[in-house]
Amino acid sequence: MKNTFVKIASLTALSAILFTACKKDKVETPAPVEQELITTIKLNVTGDGGFNKTFTYKVENGFGSTTQGNITKDDVVLAPGKTYNVSVELLNEKVSPVENLTEEVVGESDEHLFLFQSSPATGNGAISFSDGSKDGNGSPFNQTIKFNTATAGNGALTLTLKHQPTNKAATIPEAAGGETDVEATFAVKLQ
Amino acid sequence: MYRSLAAIVVVWLCCSMPLFAQQDSCGYTIKCLVVESHSGRPLFPVSIYIDEMHREFEADEDGRFTIDKACAGVYHIHFHAAGYEHLVQQLHVTANATLKFKLAHTANMLDEVVVTDEHTHTIIQSKDQLKQSDIAANSGKTLGDMLQAVNGVSVISNGATIAKPVIHGLHSNRIVLLNNGIRQEDQQWGGEHAPNIDPFLANNITVLKGAASVRYGTDAIGGVVLVEPAAVRTNAGWDGEVNLAGFSNNRMGVASAMLQHGFKAVPGLGIRVQGTFKKGGNYRIPGYWVANTGVEENNFSGAIAYKKLHYGAEVFYSRFNASLGIYRGSHTGNEKDLMAAIKSPVPLVQSGFSYDIDRPMQHVTHDLVKAKLYADSKIGHWDLVYAYQHNYRQEYDVMRVNSDKAQLNLTLNTQTLNLNLEHKLGHDITGQAGIDGIYQENFFQTGDRLFIPNYRSAGAAAYLIERYRKNDWMLEGGVRFDYRNYDVYNPEGQNQQVVNYLFDYNSMSGTLAFRQQLKPGWHWSATLSNAWRAPQASELFSAGLHHGAARIEIGDKTLKPERSYNLNLETDFNINQKLSADVSLYSQYINDYIYLEPGADILTIRGYFKTFSYRQTNAWLNGADVSLQYKFNDHLKVHAKGSTVLARNVSKNDWLILMPADRVSLGIKYTTNISKTLQDCYISLDGRYVFEQKRIPSDFDSIDYPRPPAAYLLADAEIGATLQLRKQPLYVSLGVTNLFNTRYRDYLDAFRYFIDQPGRNIVLRVRLPFNF
Repeated sequence: MKNTFVKIASLTALSAILFTACKKDKVETPAPVEQELITTIKLNVTGDGGFNKTFTYKVENGFGSTTQGNITKDDVVLAPGKTYNVSVELLNEKVSPVENLTEEVVGESDEHLFLFQSSPATGNGAISFSDGSKDGNGSPFNQTIKFNTATAGNGALTLTLKHQPTNKAATIPEAAGGETDVEATFAVKLQ
Repeated sequence: MYRSLAAIVVVWLCCSMPLFAQQDSCGYTIKCLVVESHSGRPLFPVSIYIDEMHREFEADEDGRFTIDKACAGVYHIHFHAAGYEHLVQQLHVTANATLKFKLAHTANMLDEVVVTDEHTHTIIQSKDQLKQSDIAANSGKTLGDMLQAVNGVSVISNGATIAKPVIHGLHSNRIVLLNNGIRQEDQQWGGEHAPNIDPFLANNITVLKGAASVRYGTDAIGGVVLVEPAAVRTNAGWDGEVNLAGFSNNRMGVASAMLQHGFKAVPGLGIRVQGTFKKGGNYRIPGYWVANTGVEENNFSGAIAYKKLHYGAEVFYSRFNASLGIYRGSHTGNEKDLMAAIKSPVPLVQSGFSYDIDRPMQHVTHDLVKAKLYADSKIGHWDLVYAYQHNYRQEYDVMRVNSDKAQLNLTLNTQTLNLNLEHKLGHDITGQAGIDGIYQENFFQTGDRLFIPNYRSAGAAAYLIERYRKNDWMLEGGVRFDYRNYDVYNPEGQNQQVVNYLFDYNSMSGTLAFRQQLKPGWHWSATLSNAWRAPQASELFSAGLHHGAARIEIGDKTLKPERSYNLNLETDFNINQKLSADVSLYSQYINDYIYLEPGADILTIRGYFKTFSYRQTNAWLNGADVSLQYKFNDHLKVHAKGSTVLARNVSKNDWLILMPADRVSLGIKYTTNISKTLQDCYISLDGRYVFEQKRIPSDFDSIDYPRPPAAYLLADAEIGATLQLRKQPLYVSLGVTNLFNTRYRDYLDAFRYFIDQPGRNIVLRVRLPFNF
């Protein structure tokens, strides 16, 4: 009686272990999805005399990749002492057809904030910003904005998109709170 | 059945000193010693059960156990020990007493009784226990928080709601948790994944400190936590317990109830159901509410047991179901956001009080089904345990577009099988031998972001542990062989092509331990043990952003298993019941210790991120745990504890990062009986001082910011009493943690970057056991 129990127990254990160790059917692995991916920022710039240019910033990595991927950065080349109308476009070029995320962000303008920073802030190569668009509550949103270029020179322009900022009146990302969805730095040439 | 008991058993009343003259009184303490009848040597392991109290005891290594809080009356007490007669004795409790029980060896008789329960107490190892009273005194807390009471254990946390134990500086996948005898497999991949266990299930919690792979398998490098429920009632009748707790800080309410029944019609058949509900809102740090830190738990379990003298069976099912909000301000977009949050003097995301849980949040369910058969034979006691665990973890990230979907839906299914034989060879050798099998599947769902690749894993192991006991010393030795394979399907590169990897690991582990009694009540022991663990999927395959820490973690497919060698020296001293002391020194060398090393920054569309790659080094951890207790008299006692760990990166000749700071604590407790109805009234004060961690790597500033937080001192106070309403006790306590609402941060808390630790918390607890 006892011996039978012992035998049955040992057999059960062994067979279970062997069974599990030998199972070898294929595992279905779904393709993981990078959530709400943005790959590309486009600055659509229009100005006097039919000026119409698009400057692109694109970083292709962060998706199953642990090395620096391809980076496409256009230089923002504008004329000094002028005013330009700018609108920002956000794309996910990872998918086909390309997904335009601008409408989605505009639809939730109260939860987003575009911030523009120029380096230097004034002087040669600087850009100042005005007339940024507002969200439904009348707070800054800045998806469309005016660039006022200073005197000729080289500088840099940083565009930051904040999600759920805690301070919509902020003019620098450090003061805005929330999460950074996009941070793009363009080289600027005013010539 | 209990033949010739009278001849074999001698109950010897050493001394007796009445405490209360009244009849019907409760609160007696019966100190018991179990010895072998022929040699008079203490017997161990022995499990003891008292029918009328429905309480279980385990004799310690000196054959001693204590029945506390016994009410006057007549009881039946059962003794079970491998290779010995089953002993049932009638016990008349009228006063405090010290008793000695003798068990006779069965001497190869075929049909003798050998029933012991779990085998957790058979290994010589530095260990600490939280008894039922300790667990009840901390009810409502998470398992991790509760374990902080154990010297040498600290917690790694994400704010007040997610905490997991750190034993001697090691945590997560370097610790094995055994829930009801089953290795808990619940995706312990990161610091933010807390153990999915309802502490209300536990009757006692044991912490084994140091490497313990031989009995508990791979991964037990830092130690083992055993969460053990009480045995299901199988003698006829009903009993149960209701626990209630209210916490002021996060306005949390906890209710837990247990009911069990032994069937009269079918002797030996018992059933138990248990459930817990917990709901708390945002918690409060001094001056602020912490946004989105609510918690909700709905847990339940059921068990059926059939217990005969020589064999039995048990089926157990439990479900753990929790939703946890995560402080909104701890999710940062990039390094700049993280810096802004760190530098802000106030919490960046502020809110009022709310019970609502929003994104980011976690929702976890853990199901456990366990079936156990046990029987005695001529060779010894057999246990066959099969278990199935289903763990489902959902993580809800902060999203640009509102949806109900979780961004991670991770499933981990585990089946385990264990066959264990507890045996006795001759008079002096006891031991256990067994085999283990495990099969595991881990997968994510369509539409998830990548966190852990899909994998399948199978493993098998065999072990043997023997103990030789002679007069006042014992020697223990054990060996184990493990085999484990992983079949991994990892999506890689820009096109997310699935690549299949096969990993095979096998290893031996061993233990050698010696324990000696120097004088009655004074022991010393030495344990030499080793353990190993295979690198986990996240260490091999990580390739992505860690939101809380704003960094990219990169796995390494060439990682080798970690192997640890542990030496522990311990002495425990308890003389005159006045002074007791426990000093434990340990030294642990870990070959190929896996850690994260900083690398080059990577530019992403969100800006720059630091990268951290998994690397291996040799680590050497040395430390000490010291605890002292002095009893001035029956009313007043003080205790002091201290622990330290020195963790070196040997290859780099530097300190290891993220190791618990040194800590000391001091407590005083006064207990008295005010009247017949107001008993065990106590008032206690505890202070804990945690030093600033100054042992950090020399390149700390390039890895982490800011430096570890300053030292802190916390004070807790509690009053409590047992209301004895006729024979019905009602336990009530009122406690305050962080009495002075001190502002502090802890180095092992991931929220140290953003916010302080919780402020003052007033806790009211009520426990009502019942019996009919």
